[in-house]
Amino acid sequence: MKIIVPIKQVPETSNVKMDPETGTVIRAGVETVVNPLDLYALETALRLKEQHGGTVTALSMGPPQAVKALKEAVAMGCDDAVLVSDRKFGGSDTWATSYTLAQAVKKIGDYDLIIAGERATDGDTAQVGPGIASWLDIPVATYVARIETVKDKHIVLERLVEDGYQILSLPLPCLMTVVKEIAAPRLPTLGGKIRARELTIPVFSTENMELEPAALGLKGSPTKVVKIDTPKVTRGGKVVRAGDDEAVVSAVDELMSFLEAKGIV
Amino acid sequence: MTTTSTTRYKPVTAAIVEELRTITSPRNVLVDEEKIEAYSHDETDAQEYGHMPEVVVLPTTTEQVAAIVKLANRELIPITPRGAGSGLSGGAIPQFGGILVSLEKMNQLLELDVENMVAVVEAGMVTNDLAVYVQERGLFFAGYPMSLQTCVIGGNIAENAGGGKAVKYGVTGRYIQGMELVTPTGDVVWLGGKLSKDVSGYDLKSLVVGSEGTLGIATKAIIKLIGYPTAKADLLVLFKTPREAIDVVPVILSKGLTPTSIEFMDQLSIITSCKYLNESLPYEKAGAMLLIELDGTNAEQIEMDLIAAGQLCEEHGAIEVYVAEDRNNIERIWNVRRNIAEAFKVYSPIQSLEDIVVPISRIPEMIPELDKLSEKYHVKIPCYGHAGDGNLHATLVKDPDMSMEDWKKNEVACLRELYRITGELGGKISGEHGIGLKRKIFLKEVIDPVEMKLMQAIKVAWDPKNIMNPGKIFDLAE
Repeated sequence: MKIIVPIKQVPETSNVKMDPETGTVIRAGVETVVNPLDLYALETALRLKEQHGGTVTALSMGPPQAVKALKEAVAMGCDDAVLVSDRKFGGSDTWATSYTLAQAVKKIGDYDLIIAGERATDGDTAQVGPGIASWLDIPVATYVARIETVKDKHIVLERLVEDGYQILSLPLPCLMTVVKEIAAPRLPTLGGKIRARELTIPVFSTENMELEPAALGLKGSPTKVVKIDTPKVTRGGKVVRAGDDEAVVSAVDELMSFLEAKGIV
Repeated sequence: MTTTSTTRYKPVTAAIVEELRTITSPRNVLVDEEKIEAYSHDETDAQEYGHMPEVVVLPTTTEQVAAIVKLANRELIPITPRGAGSGLSGGAIPQFGGILVSLEKMNQLLELDVENMVAVVEAGMVTNDLAVYVQERGLFFAGYPMSLQTCVIGGNIAENAGGGKAVKYGVTGRYIQGMELVTPTGDVVWLGGKLSKDVSGYDLKSLVVGSEGTLGIATKAIIKLIGYPTAKADLLVLFKTPREAIDVVPVILSKGLTPTSIEFMDQLSIITSCKYLNESLPYEKAGAMLLIELDGTNAEQIEMDLIAAGQLCEEHGAIEVYVAEDRNNIERIWNVRRNIAEAFKVYSPIQSLEDIVVPISRIPEMIPELDKLSEKYHVKIPCYGHAGDGNLHATLVKDPDMSMEDWKKNEVACLRELYRITGELGGKISGEHGIGLKRKIFLKEVIDPVEMKLMQAIKVAWDPKNIMNPGKIFDLAE
């Protein structure tokens, strides 16, 4: 079984600072990591490979430094990796990104399954995974929490939905995005790391991919960021004071009617 | 907890409280029971070791500290100096009541001298505040202990605190170049200075470091800083047996690799912590783990060293070597180590946290002895700690079903035997927490009487009236 896992390199979020002027993340000096939610996709792929054989290819679109994320994926156990990188891809929104990645998948060739993370922790859109499926015209299942079986060119899986689980059977090839419940990610190993160091990761670019120039980068992106605004917190707390036993009774009444008015009780 | 003691010391009278108010200020003298209760214990069991002070004073200058100490000498009142109260041996507990001097209001950075690579701080400065301040300027205070977030410099000095980074960076003492000390008789003296070398007489500064507040109150310190190590990476190594894990430690060190930390965890510690954290590492097959951290300023060099250390582990029987190079993975594996004590608190909150230290090569001999003690005294003894410097937290954990009476009996008997074995292996009973109140009765059993006499002679010479943190480390003949 041939599995492709698209991953994204994101800023490590535990001490991210925002530029108060532009409203964007200050990236200088911030450590980058593999999008934490993509680790679950990698783990799922590696487990499927262990059960059914085959290969796992990590795929990432980003600047040349994104090779670090791909090397970590290889250190975890991926067989190979592909970097999709070109200045012309800069400024891509989810539409242009999923188009470019879908073209990269086509260039890789045969595959049975694409497994993506639920969303990236920086953009938070959850659109690129399903977007790739759309461009490739293959079935997609989002929020997958469990895989039941893989046989007869079909995968049976459980999706996490609002009020329970939905069981689907999808024909291969297909794409799924996975949630945390599916499997706890493994750590990279020393053996994997040494292999990753020695591995040459091919770079797909406008030079060697079949691409529609108008669909790339900023100009291929229908999303326009007009303004970034930090929402003002307007919550004003209500303090109910009670100085003595008598006041407590009326204070409780006041609190209850406040909570009722807010629809909390 | 007892509130009164029959001692040779005099009580703190209303007149003395008034005098303390004059020395400092009325709001810096606390006598209300609910306010001073917080000063009656440290991180040891308050029930067992806690004791109320009679008065708590919060001086703001060295002169005030000196005046308080002079008063205590004149009136024969015991003084207990206190930092953050995060100690693990009862060093800051006012065992005889008296005056508790908390340095919490003397918490300022006085000078950052980059040319000499030192910081001058007041003793009550939170160690973490110093660490963060200097890190923002590319500098590093490397001597800090694991309780970095809460502890203060004065406490670090008193206990000569050490921690997870000692393999490479040593402990607090290495970074104390000088200090201002209020002696037990109330004199003020500067020991050491902004100097890398100093053999002008006895090294009194080093004598004060680790003396648990019995030789005076350090009020200021000159702290040596080094460049901040920007690159960091870790290995988590699984072994079948503790023996294999420990045997690889000298191999790594003798190859010229100097990890920042080499932490050891036995199977009981690993399983308990992993279950507590819901951590999915394949811990079932590991009889022991090592957590090895390397740091430096050259990321490429760290990567090469990491691979070299990992390969040495593989050559010496490691089942699996995991690498953590980004913050998320590094935090993930350190969490396993950091949460061992917490995880055991869920199992049983009553424990005796120990910190025996043995020569590194003797650690494997200690492990089966712990198993025997565990069986004999019906206590769990997870063993984890700083393998790179032989400092082990072989912690006694009470079986939740055991009665308190049995636990008290077994704890003392088990500790006594543990310390005897430690001594036989060439070790000492405390590597970083100190003797304080908690281990005083055991120290006198294992220490060379000549060494004890020398220490007592020093104490008498420095503190003729025995008012400076009396009753800690050892007792003096009355």
